[in-house]
Amino acid sequence: MVSEMNLVKLKRFILSPYTLFIVAILIPPLFVVDPFWVNRLSLYLVFSVLALSMSLCWGYAGILSLGHGVFFGLGAYCMAMSLKLLSPDSLTQGTPFPLPDFIVWNTPPGEALKLPWLWVPFQNQWFGLVAALLVPALFAALVGWFVFYGSVSGVFISIITLSMVVILNLVIIDQQPLTNGFNGLNNLAMFNVGGFEFDPYGLPTYYLIAIACALTLLGTRWLTQTKAGLIFKAIQADEQRVKYFGYDIAAYKIFALSVSAMIAGLAGVLFVINSQYASPTIMDVTLSIAIVIWVAVGGRDSLIGAAVGAIAINAIQNVLSESESLINVWRLLLGILFLLVVMFLPKGLASLGSLLQRSPSVTTDTATPVEAVDSQPLKLLSQVEPRK
Amino acid sequence: MKRRVFVQNLAVSAALTAMAGCVRSATSSTSGATGSDIKVGILFSLTGGLEIVEKSMHDATLMAIEEINQAGGVLGRKLTPVIEDGASDPRIFAEKARKLLISDKVATVFGCYTGASVKAVLPVFTQQRGLLYYPTYAQGNECPSHAIYTGAVPNQQVSNFIPWIMKNLHAKRFFLVGSNYVFPREMAKVAKIMLKQNGGEFVADEYLPLNHTEWGPLVSKIKQLKPDAIFSNVVGTSTVAFYREFKNQGLKPEDIPICSTVTSEVETQAIGSEFVEGHYSSFPYFQSVSTPVNKDWVAKVKQKFGNNAVTHHAMECSYWQVHIFKQAAEKAQSLEPEKMRTASLGLEYEAPGGLVKIDPDNGNAWLTPRIGQCQADGQYKIVDEGKAPIKPLPYVAYGETTGNLYCTAKGLDTAKFKPQEQS
Amino acid sequence: MLSSILSGLSIGSVLLLVALGLTVIYGSMGIINMAHGELVMLGAYVTVFSERFLRLPFLLCLPLAFGVTAGLGLLIERVVVRRLYGRLLDTLLATWGIGIILQQVIRLSFGPELQNVSVPGFLTGEYRIGEVSLQAYRLAIFLVALALFAIALLILYRTDFGTQLRAVTQNPQISACNGINVNQIRSYTFALGSGLAGVAGVMVSGFNAVSPTMGTNYVVDSFIVVVVGGVSSLVGTVASSALLGSVNSVVAWMSNDVLAKVVLLGLAIAVIRFFPKGLFTIQSR
Repeated sequence: MVSEMNLVKLKRFILSPYTLFIVAILIPPLFVVDPFWVNRLSLYLVFSVLALSMSLCWGYAGILSLGHGVFFGLGAYCMAMSLKLLSPDSLTQGTPFPLPDFIVWNTPPGEALKLPWLWVPFQNQWFGLVAALLVPALFAALVGWFVFYGSVSGVFISIITLSMVVILNLVIIDQQPLTNGFNGLNNLAMFNVGGFEFDPYGLPTYYLIAIACALTLLGTRWLTQTKAGLIFKAIQADEQRVKYFGYDIAAYKIFALSVSAMIAGLAGVLFVINSQYASPTIMDVTLSIAIVIWVAVGGRDSLIGAAVGAIAINAIQNVLSESESLINVWRLLLGILFLLVVMFLPKGLASLGSLLQRSPSVTTDTATPVEAVDSQPLKLLSQVEPRK
Repeated sequence: MKRRVFVQNLAVSAALTAMAGCVRSATSSTSGATGSDIKVGILFSLTGGLEIVEKSMHDATLMAIEEINQAGGVLGRKLTPVIEDGASDPRIFAEKARKLLISDKVATVFGCYTGASVKAVLPVFTQQRGLLYYPTYAQGNECPSHAIYTGAVPNQQVSNFIPWIMKNLHAKRFFLVGSNYVFPREMAKVAKIMLKQNGGEFVADEYLPLNHTEWGPLVSKIKQLKPDAIFSNVVGTSTVAFYREFKNQGLKPEDIPICSTVTSEVETQAIGSEFVEGHYSSFPYFQSVSTPVNKDWVAKVKQKFGNNAVTHHAMECSYWQVHIFKQAAEKAQSLEPEKMRTASLGLEYEAPGGLVKIDPDNGNAWLTPRIGQCQADGQYKIVDEGKAPIKPLPYVAYGETTGNLYCTAKGLDTAKFKPQEQS
Repeated sequence: MLSSILSGLSIGSVLLLVALGLTVIYGSMGIINMAHGELVMLGAYVTVFSERFLRLPFLLCLPLAFGVTAGLGLLIERVVVRRLYGRLLDTLLATWGIGIILQQVIRLSFGPELQNVSVPGFLTGEYRIGEVSLQAYRLAIFLVALALFAIALLILYRTDFGTQLRAVTQNPQISACNGINVNQIRSYTFALGSGLAGVAGVMVSGFNAVSPTMGTNYVVDSFIVVVVGGVSSLVGTVASSALLGSVNSVVAWMSNDVLAKVVLLGLAIAVIRFFPKGLFTIQSR
């Protein structure tokens, strides 16, 4: 009897979409030989980590951030700066300490060359890695503290995060001597663990990213099933009621945003390992909204949906933009697809599954209770209603 | 429950199949590398904002490829362009460069316009030992080992310009303005060094973000500081707002001329010639160059892209560099990028703007400096012209001279290049 | 100092011009129209089209652009926005999708290059009144912005449509009970806001770059104006445009334009946080 139960559980575990997804992302390198495609597939996985971060924040905690690029970008810049300082061209500038080439260009003639104090600790790769996770999380906590302890709600959070990404983008571009501005950081060293270099085109890098992606998926899933995860959903369903139960709603929201930002920072790290590059265009409005699109299309309240959405949209985008006949219209097609999904499949492609199935039973599965989410937009609307 | 699991499995397996599809297309594209055709990559922005300039460069490249194919191709083989869209985003440029080199295995890549995009792709070319032909005027201060630069460098665009302005426009006090990224800032730095050498001065330097639209405050600043001339490195859509605001605030080219290293025929067309008339630009090529080759070429461009089409410096380079590539492949008798780069050095071609030559030392182009003044019809009257093509010196602002080269075929001589000692 | 104020006013009038349409839609319907910038862009392309094919005088493009964009607004409302009432965030995303589509349609039909719009002679250059010099074009923008504002006020407060609209804004259910065709009112409002964006596009095309991607610059600016001004008040929009214009001009004068932009955005964030109803909302009752 017991063993049979376990067998059922085991079967469920193996057939669960989570397991299948993880197996699926581990398989492709066995078939793909082209190093470019190994690299590109791992880039898709980086974006799916980013989508998981958005799904946690938007689908579960109800915070639609239009500035997630900031967290991604901060993570990427921290990591990239460390790898920049370790790259050959920083070590061969004729200074006794590693100095990025752009600091040489940007130092006005006649002034002494020095590494800005901000970057001094980044000479250690592990400091860069830790900073890439903590800086976005702390920044998010700060933003969250500012926003959620005020009476800011619903769409206004989106507008604030949108302004935030515009501001940070302007600052990064303007502070050229510190950040190399619009050109960004390139020519980076490879990520190095105990002497082993992660070549972006090699299988080890693919598996590094795939495993990080799998762990993020399991981690976010675990989080959504803890008490905190339940409270996120409850807040979405009825914020007032949760408040009257004595929960500090703002604290929970700050927590959700910070965790989400840290995951976005992790995605930034993986992006840099994959692409050896960081620039202001990875922390701009376009990318921030693109993340929302991936998640909206995939399914905002399904972690798997979001992850698959990111992979699918990026794959479609690449296929369209690289086919000769569609090179001019791919953005149009993408816009139409997005519009259709928002209008007719508000829960994204992930809801196609539940559309087919009419059973009302609420399971402990990935699906969020339907009633709870449905009432959310109305709720938000009533909060935003300009006047009484 | 069961049905749900089934449906979800279905979704996952669909995703898997889709991935498998990618895999198959990936492998098939690698096997396609060994055809009788020669694959060349074309990498400009076709979307995202910068296509306003880059589309014409893309077109000019395709035009040259078509001509070469009609004349029998390269080494008896036809050129097949692999077109990629850089989407005005350096990140995408880097990604597409990787695709072209690693996956498509192209013989060479023609592409890039902004300095940011070229900086993003260069490490890829070095790493993968590819070859990039880059057709845009640049800020210099670069010595790439896996690229040929066919646009102007500062000694062909600024070295002649600043003394000319000071002498002929009687300007001493300059206002420097540019977009906020590496190219304009580096150009401004070059200009400052040259102003100092020539006894001029600058009253201010300002950098506004790309795509900045509100130029009111900046132009009123110019109005209050009353410089003798403006040295402008404003790029892209911002030029429109800048020149229009300038005239709208009542400033005239006779009093304060805008002297630009960026505003070419294509920008002028968008700004409206009535706003640019009287201002100056410095380029090695203008549509009004009166060589027979150019007249021919302009006629062909108009026939192909309509009577409104204009030609400009970066577009001209995009066109003739493909012909240099053909010569290089034939000289090297090989499509191996590093051999082709070596073969490119020293090649000459009768381009629309006159004779051009790839410098044997630094892989930039010998070009003829020219200064043009915009006329009412949007064309530039050439008011000053070098006698012959001059040698490119990418480090001219840092003391490089024809007798003392910093960038040679061996790479950058860091013993000579001391950026900090310039004052 | 005087020139700084004047420059602030002129920046402010551009802001008012582009934000007015957004205020109408957002203030009365609570809809975040992310395609607003693209409607401005469309207005600019109406000018390009008319110059190329119809050869209409510049000023006649104003009503033409209003007609075209208002028509499109009506269509957008009927086909997309109407289905999404009550799903605020989805409306935001859907209108953003519409923005991409509009951008690409224009790009495919007019080409990606910058377009040149020629401006009649009397609108270039400047007029001098004593010490003060006024730019003709900025003056025209100022006047058009004021005229649009006046028209919007008239429509909202002196017509039946305006009364019904305000009723719908206050309480759609009761309005419907009283026989107001809520859906129709909403369509017309969306059309009105879109039309105002189109008119702004015509004026913008005269002093700024016209390209398919130009709209993205305006949508963020417009939001800042609306948010600072308070969502429900046209007068607030005017006041906030003037305030933001002056702040921009003064900061740009004292340091640089980048900082000015950062200050504006920071101001918007602070206002959302501390004055969620905007700085200039007059408390009714």
